[in-house]
Amino acid sequence: MKISRLMFAGLASLCIAAPALAAETTETAPIPQEGVGTETYPGIPSDTIEKLGGPAGIKIIVDDLFYYILDDNRINQLFISHGKVERQKALNTELVQLVLGGHKQYEGASMSAAHGDLGITLTQFNAVVEDAYLAFEKARVPYSVANQIIAGLAPFERDIVTR
Amino acid sequence: MNRRTKNKRAIGRQLSVLAALFAVSGAASAGIYNDGKVLATGGVSMTDGAGGGGITPWATITGYETRDGINGDIHYTYVHLPSYDLNSGGVAVGLWDRVELSYTNDSLPTGSTYDTVGLATTTVNTALGGLGVSALDTGIEPFNTTVRMNVFGAKVRVFGEAIYDSDNLIPQVAVGAFYKVNSNKALLKTLGADKSKDFEIYASVTKIFFPISTLINLTGRYTSANQTGLVGFGGPDGNHRTFRFEGSIAYLLNKGTAIGAEYAMHKNNLDGALNLKVAGLNLDTTNNPVLAGALSTLTGPTLSQKESDWRDAFIAFFPSKNLSITMAYAMLGNIVLTPHQDGYYISLQASF
Repeated sequence: MKISRLMFAGLASLCIAAPALAAETTETAPIPQEGVGTETYPGIPSDTIEKLGGPAGIKIIVDDLFYYILDDNRINQLFISHGKVERQKALNTELVQLVLGGHKQYEGASMSAAHGDLGITLTQFNAVVEDAYLAFEKARVPYSVANQIIAGLAPFERDIVTR
Repeated sequence: MNRRTKNKRAIGRQLSVLAALFAVSGAASAGIYNDGKVLATGGVSMTDGAGGGGITPWATITGYETRDGINGDIHYTYVHLPSYDLNSGGVAVGLWDRVELSYTNDSLPTGSTYDTVGLATTTVNTALGGLGVSALDTGIEPFNTTVRMNVFGAKVRVFGEAIYDSDNLIPQVAVGAFYKVNSNKALLKTLGADKSKDFEIYASVTKIFFPISTLINLTGRYTSANQTGLVGFGGPDGNHRTFRFEGSIAYLLNKGTAIGAEYAMHKNNLDGALNLKVAGLNLDTTNNPVLAGALSTLTGPTLSQKESDWRDAFIAFFPSKNLSITMAYAMLGNIVLTPHQDGYYISLQASF
């Protein structure tokens, strides 16, 4: 019966989608407020940060992410040429906590301000996502929990990918 | 159709497949080749050749290209049913994650099922021949009748982002069409179908719900197909297309494995009689009890063409961006005279 309920949810989403269409093109994803998190459908469970090992665990995952990014010949030049890798790591650690509903100040610029003129392609964005899954595996994050982080960060694709 | 024309057609078909492959490899050298989608997000190939699940087209565009380039794939699917085997082989290209073009050849060797009917009608033919009446053309050979169908498909993504728009409920939406040409005209006439070739149009909506690692696809298909067109289109009452609902749900176990289930509504266009034409007279089995009796003696008590909705449960593996392996249990129900056509399904897809 779970299936039919989910199908119903899908149908319901269609009905909701139609009037929302007009707003779609201009929508950007704001950095969530402290303790709120990205509003996703369905929502991100409140214990996700805990499951990731708290703020310290998230820092390790982000460190692993940059380990894979800097080894990834498809995209590493993009990150190296931008410089300040340690600051990028720190900001990403803050951001992951924020999108999951954690209490953390985010000191960076908005996603569109930070990435708008870098000309990042969807192919490059997807490469970072693939590296993120490698980082989750390295830190032994279960796939279902990893997808909570992806869900929280996914809306930034609209701001980061400009080409 | 004589053998030479058949061979020519087969060669033409192979050339078109080669041309499509060259188009993809040509793109590689021109720098528009792209395989930037995240693993598994290109979906697999359905038996009509479109990107999607196994029996339902999704709003996703086939191949691993993003909006930055083009990509393509070939697939081979084999479904082993108690009375039939379905083989589906085809090629598809995805252009800038916007347009998908596909070609697939479905062939359905009917095995022993139609051998029985074929023998029955051959026997009847022989008897009629003896009476000086011209023979029945049922399209059923005494042995090894194979149903063949060419499916040409096109799909366009209209709007929406199935993957990354986790903060809204707007799905990815695509519209598509198939043009299906079944080459077994005489057999389809015998089975009561109105047409041997027809088009279908569909709209699909697909959305990934990341927090629950689940993909949902809903499709409405406007069609009059009997068993996807393998048993032609329409029935004794004509060719009436209607919207039919299809749905897929997939749960991602990890980044390279998905499990799920699918459903595709079918219609009962042919739940009546077999049409056997004798000397221009339409002798269907309802007003020809002798023939119906002769056939049902040989095929069993139920001479029903009642058609079932299709269902399947699947597991798909994506070991790399170049290969996917889908295994399923397909529950196709009643298929022309034979009930309980449930069996195993395996599909290989190679992407370039």
